[in-house]
Amino acid sequence: MSNITSLKRGRTARRKSAVQIYCQVSAVLTIVIVSLILLTLLIQSGPVLLAENNGLLGTHWNPDEGVYGIVPMLFGSIFVMIIATLIAVPIGLMTAIYISETRSSKLRRAFKSILELLVGIPSIVYGLIGVAYLNIWIADAFDLQSGRVILTAGILLGIMILPTFLTLSEDAISAVPLKFRENAKALGLYRHEIFKSVIFPQAKVGIAGAGLLALGRALGETMAVMLVIGSLDRLPSPLLNPLSSGQTITSKLGREVGESAFGSTHFSALVFMSLILVMITITLTISSQYFLTRKTAHV
Amino acid sequence: MLYSLKKTSRLKTLGLMIVPALLAACSAPEALNISGSSTVLPAVSLTAEQYTMETGISVIVNAGGSGSGFNQLAQGQTDIGMMSRDITPSELTNFEGIDFTEIAIGRDAVVPSISSEIYEAGVQALTLAQIADIYSGRVDNWSEFGGPDRPIFAIDKEASRGTRQIFMGVVFGNSKAEAAGADLVTGSNNEEQTALTQSDAAIGMLSFAWLNEDVRGLSVILPDGQTVAPSLDNIQNGTFPFVRNLNVVTRGEASLPVQNFVAYLLGPKGQEAVEKSGYIRISE
Repeated sequence: MSNITSLKRGRTARRKSAVQIYCQVSAVLTIVIVSLILLTLLIQSGPVLLAENNGLLGTHWNPDEGVYGIVPMLFGSIFVMIIATLIAVPIGLMTAIYISETRSSKLRRAFKSILELLVGIPSIVYGLIGVAYLNIWIADAFDLQSGRVILTAGILLGIMILPTFLTLSEDAISAVPLKFRENAKALGLYRHEIFKSVIFPQAKVGIAGAGLLALGRALGETMAVMLVIGSLDRLPSPLLNPLSSGQTITSKLGREVGESAFGSTHFSALVFMSLILVMITITLTISSQYFLTRKTAHV
Repeated sequence: MLYSLKKTSRLKTLGLMIVPALLAACSAPEALNISGSSTVLPAVSLTAEQYTMETGISVIVNAGGSGSGFNQLAQGQTDIGMMSRDITPSELTNFEGIDFTEIAIGRDAVVPSISSEIYEAGVQALTLAQIADIYSGRVDNWSEFGGPDRPIFAIDKEASRGTRQIFMGVVFGNSKAEAAGADLVTGSNNEEQTALTQSDAAIGMLSFAWLNEDVRGLSVILPDGQTVAPSLDNIQNGTFPFVRNLNVVTRGEASLPVQNFVAYLLGPKGQEAVEKSGYIRISE
């Protein structure tokens, strides 16, 4: 009898340790994969960084002449990202406030599950909608020859990151404990006063985190942007004209990675651009994580 | 205890046996992969459909552009590459030591194409120098060529595209010329055609087979003053300046399935498909 229980105990202990090892191996694997990716990007960026007259910080991109100016792409990525944020943040924030502060929790849950469905729509679907409709509407609205411009890409991206931002910032607002609301109400504050001076100050860190995470998504988006941005490797003129065609790092990669031979300087230049993109995204993710965890620490 | 050990080890052996079986199952169906030029694609995919019906061998055809097709072939990611131009010397030096065989399966023309609105307003023929003026940005209004007072919207293509390289080769004498006057860059013929259709003042470059009522082909005025329309006859007899071969490319010693399919492309059924796709057959 005692023999059996000890056997059982031994087995569970062993099983636990097996699970433990499995988890540890998985964790290590994840870290290894991420660092391998970064390492590969670094090594593959080598040829273009070592190439003479690579013109990396210029505005001219011509693989045949060995000139790889990444400025138009970098500028395009940031420009599109800013437009997307300007669209997604105000709309997302207002909607988040509306559903979390004024609607019943039943409606809130229904709303959120629909939103989370939206996050899952593949980006190529957004791209097709962009090519078929948005692009034409923009062309008509601004009397352009083609709607494949930076603004179209920005609006499309704004729509794409809206659900992510909305659902996360709504979480941040709802996470403010009930006792704060009740105390504020007991003090006789109006609803908008409660939100402005009690809830928002507590939720704003979480909202900022949500914004940064959404930004990261906007930067990395490829298919939808590629289809509507016009793919012109040139800085807009004048510089801040959103109605001219442009190029982002991701759309450039999507367009050109197939034609560049592996190991060539051309390929290396494309890898270097993705390295920059990864760096920016990592920075955004880390800072958003910092904000999001600080939110819980404060409450 | 002993029993349970045995059981797990048996399970393990079973697992180890299943893995290779699964892997084998994944690669089992014999499929021919073809990718590259979106110009050559219609003819090849039409042929592929018939070929599959007759032989049961599945053929997967993907677009991506001539340059991309060549790279994929050279790196062994596809069995046959489609190219709407010849292999360039720099491409060959990138993959030294590999033999490539280029087989022409049909002929086509790249046609300078414009939005139907401009065509109907009277711009129906341009000289090569005028086209060069548009793409280098020296002329930016249709009124200069007798058209309406509307800015010219010049559509360029990705640098690796065969269509672009033929076009630039004839217009600028350099297949890799940069187009400073371009307002938009597109990829496939499909994408370019859509952009031309959506605009009412655009010029672009399309394969002959992609012209339609919304996108009209321009006649070209040759240096000797002769105006050549983009017609089947003119392409066949070579007077239209932008004529090219449509190629399929294989690497090294081609495998039997590849050889068979290439032979089929050159046979009556394949050539019929070439013609049906709007191109000119290479063999009668």
